[in-house]
Order: sequence, then structure tokens, then C-alpha cells
Amino acid sequence: MPELPTVAIVDDDEAVREALGDLLMVSGLTCQTFEGAASFLDATTKRHFDCLITDIRMPDMSGIELIEHLQKRCTDLPVIVISSVLDQHVRSSALSLGVHAWFTKPVSDERLLGAIAAAIANGSGADTGQ
Amino acid sequence: MTAALLDPYEHRDSGIAAFASESVVIVDRDGQVRYWNPAAERLFGWPELAVRGCKLAALSPTPVDEERAWSQLMQEGSWQGRIGRYARDGDIVYADVRRHLRYDAAGEHCDTLEFALPASGQGEAGLVSDRIMAACWEIDISPASEIVSRIVARAGLAAKGELEDLFLNLVEAARIVEVNERTARLVGGNRGRALMVGQSVAVFWPFGSRRILAELILEAMGDETGKTFHRRIPTDGILRDPIVSLWRADAGRPGHLFIAVNGAADDDRSYLYLRASEARYRKLIDYMPVALWQVDASHMGKIYAKLRAEGVVDFSRYLEQHPQLVEHAAASVPVTDVNRSAIELIGGAGPHDLIQPVGYLFVESPASLRRVMVGRFTGRRNYSEFMKVRTLDGRVRDVRFSVTYPEPLVELDTTIFSMEDVTERLQMEAQLRQLQADFSHAARVSTLGELATSIAHEVNQPLAAIVTNAETSLRWLARDEPDIAKVGQLTARIAASARRADGIVQRVRGMAAKQAPDPVELSFNDIVQESLLFIRHELETRSVRVSTSFARGLPSVFGDRIQLQQVIVNMLINAAQAVERCDHAAREITIATASEKSGNLLFTLRDRGPGIAPEHLARIFDGFFTTKDQGMGIGLAICHSIVVAHGGQISAFNRPGGGAEFRVVLPRTRGLAAAGPVYA
Repeated sequence: MPELPTVAIVDDDEAVREALGDLLMVSGLTCQTFEGAASFLDATTKRHFDCLITDIRMPDMSGIELIEHLQKRCTDLPVIVISSVLDQHVRSSALSLGVHAWFTKPVSDERLLGAIAAAIANGSGADTGQ
Repeated sequence: MTAALLDPYEHRDSGIAAFASESVVIVDRDGQVRYWNPAAERLFGWPELAVRGCKLAALSPTPVDEERAWSQLMQEGSWQGRIGRYARDGDIVYADVRRHLRYDAAGEHCDTLEFALPASGQGEAGLVSDRIMAACWEIDISPASEIVSRIVARAGLAAKGELEDLFLNLVEAARIVEVNERTARLVGGNRGRALMVGQSVAVFWPFGSRRILAELILEAMGDETGKTFHRRIPTDGILRDPIVSLWRADAGRPGHLFIAVNGAADDDRSYLYLRASEARYRKLIDYMPVALWQVDASHMGKIYAKLRAEGVVDFSRYLEQHPQLVEHAAASVPVTDVNRSAIELIGGAGPHDLIQPVGYLFVESPASLRRVMVGRFTGRRNYSEFMKVRTLDGRVRDVRFSVTYPEPLVELDTTIFSMEDVTERLQMEAQLRQLQADFSHAARVSTLGELATSIAHEVNQPLAAIVTNAETSLRWLARDEPDIAKVGQLTARIAASARRADGIVQRVRGMAAKQAPDPVELSFNDIVQESLLFIRHELETRSVRVSTSFARGLPSVFGDRIQLQQVIVNMLINAAQAVERCDHAAREITIATASEKSGNLLFTLRDRGPGIAPEHLARIFDGFFTTKDQGMGIGLAICHSIVVAHGGQISAFNRPGGGAEFRVVLPRTRGLAAAGPVYA
């Protein structure tokens, strides 16, 4: 297990991926970005992640499908969703799958960093704020 | 006679006739005497009571001559000559009579009026046709004096062809001084006497007998005794076996000659028939729903001939340099007749308000008159354009204006203008265009609604990036040693994301805007690529792949950018929805641009979805036809109407291997109809 916690970022939008990566970097976190769920799942077989930040609406495999997939693997990887999706139904189904936090884009840096810190610390105290 | 026996119409006439010193007889259509005035009683000895209801012909001692006289009257409309008539005591009374046909308000022959005076001089039996029955001309050959002297000088020396030409030149040079009504009617067409005066004899004299006329002229000019020269000329379609008589005018009018042409009209149709026929045509033309003007531009023809002789070729440019010629035409070319529709269109109390120089028709569109003149100059048969015309009360109407030029040598020099009021039609077309624009706008808004989630997501991505980048920058700046380089990099990213968001907003705004179609020349490939950009995100989130093939060197297309994008976007959305539920492998749309052999542009869209149900194929472009639960069924209908408005075609069919194919064909050049000169 590496000393610094590593956060995985999955978003099909390059600008968003880069922006999130830079934010985590300035906050002293290590991160790795993925443009799709498939490449992230691939990477999980090789290394450990302490937290996953994912978008919902993505081609090929959606964020919900990714979370379901992780559930099946019974990993305890805390998941934070940052999405433009306003659909309450999608949101509640994500939360029922045990998602640690759900943010709507654009997200405030403080809240996101707070949620990541909380998730990494104990995976408890889920933040379900907007 | 008693007034009670006469209808009011007859009463009015015969009441006056009762006091006439001339014999006045009215004969009905069946030849029976209807009225017989006191002077007729005195002249022929029969009291009116005795002859009323009798056949007038029964009183003739020479029934064959009488019959011929009546048939001539029927052909010509009037007749004048000497007749014999049995008197009551059995003697024959000779009288000089004039007979005229009369017509009722509907133009039908109703009766015949006969005036008679006792024959002057010794009674000549039979009928003597008066000279008034001849077609008479007074001509002036002084403009031809040089030709006459050349013929005289060359007589016997000249080759036959040369003399022939000189004879024709002589007739051409001779001018008409005066003609009688019969001549005007026989050869003057609808121009009347006034317009014949001053023109060349050759314009009206049948070509086949011009040589004979020239010979007669020469004979008469060579004679000092004032003798009359006669020649029979061939039947020419106007008169049958006519005899031409020609004699010199008195010494006070040197160079003037009189011509009389005698002969029966060479037309088996009677005067009545022709009159009725002409009346029918007049009525037909008068009630024609198209506004008609008869215009006499004959004098302009002469100006054009002169300019042509001077070497003017580009008449359009010539008129630009000499606008005074257009003004001259506007002020000097007279309208000679108009019909009812013309009065309805332009206004005015009657034809007289419109029978004036043509200038008033071109007040709103002076360039149209110039184009009419160019058409005549270049020998066109007709010309047509849309123009504006001002009514007499100052309103402006849109008309389709057409000109029929006279065919040289075949017809008289009469130009016909026609105008069809298209103001309402144009208004309706504008309304329809507006309606179509509204409808396609509604469809675009509806498409935007379908894409709302996708668009919100798409625009939110750069916004999210901007916010995060900005906050990250603040964090870098808040450090004890701010990393300016990092902040610069982040700021550049902020700008890029902002531009990206702006691009999306612009595209959406273009689609949402309600604006009139703005046809311009466009690159078709660009339109397809912009459309793809518009729904790229939608397609990605539906995991639909699009493979594209853009042909190089495509001709440009003339159309409205937004509307054409709308067509492509709509078809792509339809295809994406069709393949959405398919296996991952089948979620593919193939689009291609190409140019057809004809040069038209072709856009094809193929999918590997379930295809179109056969029973839906025929209705797929109908309005409000939909197979979707929440669809309005206007998407493809709008595509269809947009493509058609661009002069193109859209079609759909199922591919043999499965899936649907849509084809859009667009014309390479102008597609939206533009108003302007129309050439028939």
C-alpha cells in the first residue's frame, strides 16, 4: 500500500479530468485519470486506489454500471460521483448502491476535497450533499 | 300609321322617318317589310298597310339581281346601288337605294334599313354598284419620283430582275394620303384609317399584286389626259377577282393618284358571320381574366431598324447610355385598346383612361420598359417578368407581366401586353414560407427539447472544468510562493473551456433562433460536420458510432445553413434512436456525401437497425406520422418540406441486408426560387 492515498478519476471529458487532477495535485493528493470505465477497471487489477471519482453519463459503460460492477467485486473502494445528471431516480439508485458522495457539476473544491478526505479516512459519514 | 303597332325601339326611329322626304323601308330578318314611310308610299305607290308583312324581294322585277344584291349586303354590311321595284300600278320604278344592316344590343342582326330616292337621269335597268363599294385609296408617289424616272430611263434596257426590284421600290416609296372605310376594313386590320395614313402603300398592298400596281402607276403618270386605267388582279384572299382602277388626281395635287379596287369579299363567310365572329373574339378578349393591352409600337420598329443599320448590337447598353430613348417610348408608344381586366387592375372609369402612352405602366418599374424594348430589338417573340405596377389610385400591385411581340411580315405591328395580378399569390406564398419557417422552427425547438439533457451535460462539462480550474488557480496563488507558471497554464485551460462552452451555446442559439431562411452558398460537407458536432455528445452517450465519408471537391449548395443542419441532425437522431436498442455491434450509423452524375449533391445515411416497417414506408414523411410514444411526428415531415423547399428530394427505403437508408439529393446551384426575369 503506497504512502500517499491515490484517487482514480473517471470522466470521458478531458478538460474535466485534467481540472480535477490539478485540484487534487495542489491539495497534495496523488491521482490517476481514466477516460472510461473499462480502462479504470483494467487498472484496478494492477494497483490499489483509495477513492474513485466518476461521472455518470459516459459512453460504453455508464457510471452506474461501473458502480454495480464494483459492488459485484465486493471492493470497499469509496466512490464519489460528480455528474451533470439531475435525474433524482439515478441519484437515489447510486446512493442505494453505497456511493459515498454525489455532487452535481460544477462542484465546489472545498466540498469535494472534504468528501475525498472523509472517504479516504474511514469510508464512513457519507456526504450526500448536492 | 299607329304607334301601337310598333315597339318603342322601332317607334323612336320610324317616328322620325315618317317626316323624311326619302323613302325609308325597314325589312326584318326574314325579308318582310316591317315599316314603310310616307315617302316610300309616294315613291312606289304602295300604301304601308298593303306591303307590311310582304316579302320585299317579291316586288323586284329582277329577282336574281335582287338576290345578289342582298347577299352582297349580308357580306359587306351595307349596299348601295340602283334597283327596280314594281309599283302598285304594275310599272317598274327605278330608285337609287342604300341598304344597311342594323343590330340589336347583343350585336345580332335585327333588321335592314333601306333608303331610296327616285333614280336620277334615265332609268337603267339592273344594279349599278356604287363607287363607294370600292376599296378606295389616295396615294402620293412624289417620294418615289426618282424611282419613276429611273424606271423610265432603264425601260427596255434593264434586266428583268432589276426592273422588278424598282417596281417594288416604287410601291414601297408611295405613301398613303387617305383611304376609305372599306379599305381600312379589308387591309388595315384593327388599326383603322388614321394609322394607315402616312404609311407606305407596300405595308398594306398585297405582295402578289404590287408589280401590277406599279405598272398602273407608271401608265397613269405617262398619261396627261386623266384617263382611268383598269387591271384585273389575281384573287388574293381579300377580294375575289378584283379590278383595280387608277387615275391621276387633278393638277392641284401633282403626284397624287386615286385607286379604286372593286370586287366581292373573297370570303364565303358573310359580313354578319365575320362581324359576329369578331364580336365573339372581342367579347372573349374583353372578358379574359388576364389584363390585356394592345400597343402600337410600330414607329419604334423604325427607330430600331435605323439603330441596327448604324451598327448597334448591344441594345441594352445602348439604352443605358441613351435613357432618353426609353423616355421617348414611354411618352410616344400608344396603348390602342385594353380589356376589362386591365381596367379592373389599373383602375379608371373606362378604356379611355388607359388608352394613352404606355409610360404609366412602368412608373414603378422603369427598367422593365427597357427590357421590353431590348426584347423587341433582339427579335424575341415574347418576354415575361415579375414587376410592380402602380394603379391609377396610387396602389402598387405585383404582376406577372408578359409581352407578345408582333411577328414581322406575318402580322400587323401590334404588341400585346398582358398582366396577371399576383399580389395575393405572392402574399400567400410569403405566408406559406412564414408558416413553413415557423413549423421548422417549432420542430427545431422540439429537437432541442429532445436533446436538452445531452446539451445540458455537454455545456456543463466545460463549466465544471472552468470552476475547478479557477479554484485550483486560487489555491496555487494562495501559497506562500505562488506558482505563476501553473496559474498561467490553468488560466489558458479556463479560456479554452469557456470558448468550448460558448461554441455549444452558439450552436444551440442558432437552432433555437426564429429567423427567416437566409439562403447562401454553402459547403455541404461543412453542414454535415457541424450537424455532427451538434449531436456528437448525444450519440456518444447512446454509444452510437458514426462512420463518415466526405467526398472531396463537392459543388456548393445554395440554402439556409440552420435548416439544412436541422435536416441532418433530425435524420441522425432518428437513426440513433433506431439503433439504440440494438446490440453494441449494430449501433453504428454510416453517413456519406457524394455528388451525383448530374452534379447534384447526395447525402446518404445508413443504419443497421430494424429498418422501417413496410406499411410505414409510404407515410414516413407525412406530418404527424410517428411510431414513437412521445414523438410528435413532425421531424421527418419537416425534413421533407425543407429539402423540397431547397429544390431537392428525400427518400427512405430498407436495405437488403437489414437497416434503413435515407437519401437526400440537393441541387448544386440555386434551389430556393428567386423572383426575377422569367423567360417563356
